[in-house]
Amino acid sequence: MEATPGGFLLVLILVAPVTGLLIGFAQGGRAAERIALWAAPLGVTMAMVLLAGVLHAQAPIVAFVGGWAPPLGLALRADGLAAAMLMTTAVIIAAITLFARADYTTLPGAPEARAPLAFWCFLLALWAALNAAFLGGDLFNLFVALEMLTFGALALACLDGRATQFKAELRYLLFALIGSVFYLLGTALLYGAYGTLDILLLSRTARSDAPTIVAASLMTVGLLGKMALFPLHLWLPAAHAGAPPAASALLSGLVVKASYVLLLRLWFWVMPAALLLAVAPILALLGAAAILFGSLVALRQARLKLLVAYSTVAQIGYLFLMFPLVAGSAAEVAERAWTGGALQAISHAFAKAAMFLAAGVIARGMGHDRIAGLHGAARVAPLSVLAFGLAGLSLMGIPPSGGFTAKWLLLQSALYAGQWWWALVIVAGGLLTGGYVFRVLSAAMRAPSPDFMPAAPVDARQERVALGLAIISVVLGLLPLAAFGLVLIGR
Amino acid sequence: MTLLAHLLLLATILAPLGLLATAVTAQGRLRLPALLVYAPLPGLAAALIAGPAPPLVIYADWLRLSLDLDAPGALLLGVAALLWSAAGAYASAYLPGATRFAGWWLLTLAGSLGVFIAGDLVTFYFAFALVSLAAYGLVVQDATRRARRAGAIYLALAVLGEVFLLFAFALLAVSIPGQSLAIADAVAALPNSLVRNETILLLLLGFGLKAGLVPLHVWLPLAHPAAPMPASAVLSGAIIKAGIIGLIRFLPFEGGIAGWGLALGVLGFLTAFYGVALGITQRNPKTILAYSSVSQMGVVMAALGFGLAAGDAATPLDAARYASHHVLAKGALFLGVGVALATGARRAAWIMAPVLLLVLSFGGLPLTGGALAKEATKAQLGAGVLGWLSALSAAGTTMLMLHFADRLRAGLAETPEASAPPGLILPFAVMTAGALLLPWWLYPAAVKFWPALWPVLLGALGFLALRNWGGRLPRWPEGDVLIFAERAAARVAPPLAERASRIEATLRAWPSAGLALLVLALLLGLAMAVAA
Repeated sequence: MEATPGGFLLVLILVAPVTGLLIGFAQGGRAAERIALWAAPLGVTMAMVLLAGVLHAQAPIVAFVGGWAPPLGLALRADGLAAAMLMTTAVIIAAITLFARADYTTLPGAPEARAPLAFWCFLLALWAALNAAFLGGDLFNLFVALEMLTFGALALACLDGRATQFKAELRYLLFALIGSVFYLLGTALLYGAYGTLDILLLSRTARSDAPTIVAASLMTVGLLGKMALFPLHLWLPAAHAGAPPAASALLSGLVVKASYVLLLRLWFWVMPAALLLAVAPILALLGAAAILFGSLVALRQARLKLLVAYSTVAQIGYLFLMFPLVAGSAAEVAERAWTGGALQAISHAFAKAAMFLAAGVIARGMGHDRIAGLHGAARVAPLSVLAFGLAGLSLMGIPPSGGFTAKWLLLQSALYAGQWWWALVIVAGGLLTGGYVFRVLSAAMRAPSPDFMPAAPVDARQERVALGLAIISVVLGLLPLAAFGLVLIGR
Repeated sequence: MTLLAHLLLLATILAPLGLLATAVTAQGRLRLPALLVYAPLPGLAAALIAGPAPPLVIYADWLRLSLDLDAPGALLLGVAALLWSAAGAYASAYLPGATRFAGWWLLTLAGSLGVFIAGDLVTFYFAFALVSLAAYGLVVQDATRRARRAGAIYLALAVLGEVFLLFAFALLAVSIPGQSLAIADAVAALPNSLVRNETILLLLLGFGLKAGLVPLHVWLPLAHPAAPMPASAVLSGAIIKAGIIGLIRFLPFEGGIAGWGLALGVLGFLTAFYGVALGITQRNPKTILAYSSVSQMGVVMAALGFGLAAGDAATPLDAARYASHHVLAKGALFLGVGVALATGARRAAWIMAPVLLLVLSFGGLPLTGGALAKEATKAQLGAGVLGWLSALSAAGTTMLMLHFADRLRAGLAETPEASAPPGLILPFAVMTAGALLLPWWLYPAAVKFWPALWPVLLGALGFLALRNWGGRLPRWPEGDVLIFAERAAARVAPPLAERASRIEATLRAWPSAGLALLVLALLLGLAMAVAA
């Protein structure tokens, strides 16, 4: 492997948010907010340039940090999947920056407050961590990125400083740390066995021997715990539902996807195919259980944000259906399944971020988030209810949304591969999703009682941000399939 | 000419959506209801001139879309567009200022016309989903408890239908050799597909749900009476035809499939008689019309079924002709219900006379459009037992529709001088004229007098009997078998949900989560060790 031209861009993408974080932290909340506002368009531009570069070269862009090649040095690799995820991240972070201005702004001359400073700094930190997780070329680097991610996410989630929040996020922290321990143990074993943690070097030498198997199962379980795949989801609903809206959107939309990309790297790059074939059905089975169980429980939720959180538990399941469809299938089927899985990750990121932001606006406008009491929400926050509905369409897989294309690809590859039972799970999940989305919408569309008063005015800008993300999740489905060939580059 | 045709095809879908887009401004919103009448006109024009144009395939780098108009599609598109336009005019008089309703209306319209011209699986699925889901907004417009229940059940079944179709389409796409997603290629590949039976079953379930195939018809008698008049008209006239065009498009009539054709045909007749049997126990004129729609769609599906069994390639057009009469006549009658409810006894003759003509047209009275519609399905349902069955169903329809006219007369406005506003009367008049006359232009035929007449007379006799002794019939709730399903669901669902929450509580406890973590690690390790 050699470094490619344009590698400095990868370093820039990593360094820019960190620099912003350091300056912002030194200069205070108002400066941090300004930096984040400037960083948002810059980040989107950088991600776009990188994406165009990868598409143009039809090959991954690689950089060696400090000019040292692995195994001595560290590699950064931007393949198609990484470029797509970086782009998703940049757009969602930009949207959340706009959304959060209403909540965490520091007026000129106002005294420095804890929440704004913490929010903007940790937002930048989280962004850096996400970029590192998508670009990292070796397993230890990725571990560091994941840890940064966990702590950044945790800080954002606890921002309000309520006791219930701390309790929920403490569970998250504990479980994430247990996951980290498992993952770290696995990396240590791999390092002991192979003397390197570089993904490409490992992929050439990995064997199906005992240390590798133990390492693989430890690392996988650790990552599943961080992703909250059923039945390891105990921390997710409370943690995601308890956080402030901007943080919930980041956690549900992006943070779980970082562990997912890492899991893909572990299984489709590092591990030998024989082991993957053994593990894939188990992962998909857990995914199927997550889809059905998470959706059923979401149907029963009384609180809007918890419903959205359980919907995440369910939607994460779809990501795992691609494992047995990619592993051991003919090239064309595997490509479809891979594209479907990646697209599910991306469209869910947009849809779920939109949903949490919309739920946040609705909850503030109504003064509560009890679904049974949402009558009149469509009048209080019309754009947010619309955003919730559009995002719901994408989650259900109604065309022309991105969720539809993703599920259509997975469905087709399941049928091509002769594994029709996954297809059943996909459509059943869509049906249940329709159920819980409808519960919310039908309550929100009902006329309120005559003496109804909104609890707080709704910020129209925040509503528009939520709607914008929801529209992106729908418009993704209008892109031609060829555009998603991007995620196949460097696979 | 081709360019114009293609532009019109595109405008068929885009005009309603574009009109909807003007609703972003407050002024646009206010104007919306008054513009509903114009939105379907590109579709109407497309149906009139776009017939023989080659399919329009837009496969630009940013959009996949193919539109195609064949003879059955053009016929149904034309009459449906006419109904949508007339009902749109009616709606702006019936529900002035209902802007949200107008929004749902335009969305539904785009999908409803879209299914007739969609040329590939994805476009068809998109249009079908649009018409199915957006119609929910039309059903719940009145915001009563009854409308909400009807809407919820409608939506649940619509989504269920979507799921069946998604599955079916995925199976179809997999059996097409190569990358094509064109419907024509899918149908060509279907008879030799490895999963032929599964695909056809799913198609029948998905489209049958929309078209009211018994026992999937339960949403019709609930949704139609609950919706406002113009919405009922398009629901019954145009929207359920999405199921019919689906069957027309996706079943392989060229080669035919005997077993499935027979099954669909038998179910179709069963639906036809079931609709009549339950319809005569109803008292609400709109519910009676809904059951009549179930029955009429049963006849269409019977024709499709027996045509499929015989491998008769003319079936699609014949069935479309029968269905097109239903679009016009049922649309007219639903609009007529609203007119009648606003008309007093003094002017009753002005409304009851056209209603009676339409009623008898349904039975196939000679010289009416209905007789031509019945004649159109002669090839499929004309001979032997089928001929008798279809004559009996015509008699049953006559009886049911006379019962409807009777109930409608009982519902006239209380003040004798009352008269409906012209905004309601004009669309009704246009649709009535269309139902009675258009078939003569679209599919003229020579109708033998006596074979067409006796079922009508028999039906009239049946109606007299019903008037005398109908009081003894058991009274069925709207949506009949649905009641049992609801009761069963009420008994099963709560314990199931209870169980799920209890499992959830257990899983979310620390000990079980920790255990799950360890067990999973062991399981993954074992699986790999066995494989390695």
